[in-house]
Amino acid sequence: MPYNARRVALVVCVVLLLGFFLLPNQTQTLFQQLGGPVGWLLSWPLQAVSAVHDGIGDIWDRYVALQGVEDENRQLRREIEHLQGQNNRLRESASATDRLTELLEFKTQALSTMVAAQVIGRDTSNWYRTIVLNKGESDGIHAEMGVITPAGVVGRVVKTTPGTAVVLLVSDGNNAIAGLIQRTRDEGIVDGTAQGGVRLKYIPLLSTVRTGDRVVTSGLVGGFPRGLAIGTINKIETEEGALFQTAELTPEVDINRVEEVLVIQSPYSPPASTEAEKAAPKAKP
Amino acid sequence: MKTLLYAILIVGIVPLQSILLPHATVWQVKPDIGLVAVCLVGLLAGELDGILVGLAVGWAMSLFSAGDLATGMVTKGVAGMLAGLAGRQMAQVTPTVLVAGLFTFSCLAGFAMMGSIRMGEDRDLWWALRAVILPQACFDAAVGGLVYWMAWERLDLDRVVRESRA
Repeated sequence: MPYNARRVALVVCVVLLLGFFLLPNQTQTLFQQLGGPVGWLLSWPLQAVSAVHDGIGDIWDRYVALQGVEDENRQLRREIEHLQGQNNRLRESASATDRLTELLEFKTQALSTMVAAQVIGRDTSNWYRTIVLNKGESDGIHAEMGVITPAGVVGRVVKTTPGTAVVLLVSDGNNAIAGLIQRTRDEGIVDGTAQGGVRLKYIPLLSTVRTGDRVVTSGLVGGFPRGLAIGTINKIETEEGALFQTAELTPEVDINRVEEVLVIQSPYSPPASTEAEKAAPKAKP
Repeated sequence: MKTLLYAILIVGIVPLQSILLPHATVWQVKPDIGLVAVCLVGLLAGELDGILVGLAVGWAMSLFSAGDLATGMVTKGVAGMLAGLAGRQMAQVTPTVLVAGLFTFSCLAGFAMMGSIRMGEDRDLWWALRAVILPQACFDAAVGGLVYWMAWERLDLDRVVRESRA
């Protein structure tokens, strides 16, 4: 590169660095917007490497690492039998709940749209606990959307490119999800700990919370509807003189092994019948 | 040729850091290959290449992280520039000097990242030092030192530096 061009390039770089210090928000927004096409471009090698990585993982899991599969099979069969019995009982309870709900004219809260996505990577730094999904803005995924598996809450979307989305896990200290103790109905904030665990903070001192209680989303804030499983309380801490209790949770989802997730695009939608009622002309008395 | 190499480096670092390195963690810490690469580029090719590649690598990596974009770009850009300036002042960079330098740069980058995140009651300076900054700095220094030592053994690095800085 000619000497003058080098000098100009160096000055531009230094101005850019100064820009980050003097006008951090504007410069960051500019690069975030320009990052769309760059992120789309970079998502291709990311997905290609992820596919090869998954393929090798599959071969390893199916053909090499088969130790203990027979024992696991037996244990799983026993578990299925147990779950079938539990399922029957729950069906009975569910039908009873449906009948009671109709009687009380509760409005049902239904999940409207969810997008299934695959986990293709983890955070590029050591400071955050995140996963990278293979779907992004072009699939209708935006920041602040909740991410779940059928077992429970995984985290929420914090950053997107056209082809990928970054999900901050529930075990990250920077995350905060409104939680509710299912039995006592006490509310609190679920966040991550430095050790990678999950805890429920701000439980009222008078709460009768105990170990084994299940914590679900409260649905008050964030991209989650009410009632999604977060975890089970395994330890309760009450400091002397503190105004609140804190509980450690065992998450419902094994966050380190999650492979496929569902992104909640809108937590609530009015039931179809309500919409039909609104649209239909009211009969005059 | 150099531009193509840099493009491959920038595109290749994200899958390496995001998909493959999580399998090579020690105490849940993985090396920051981006920082190592940027420092080596700065050292071998000069401060301008270091700062440009640093900004680009920082930008690419921050798109796939929850981290602050500005901190990622500035940290890596400045690391590349400082490595370039340091390389210009030294007659010969041995693997030992490089290991010490990488350790220092990684610690400084770690402190910069720490400044940009929300520290809570159980995430203080001691936690950051013990859990992330020092293990990552050791890891970065070891990986960078190994790569540089391999290049030192096989290539005429003085000639590479002379040609790439020309």
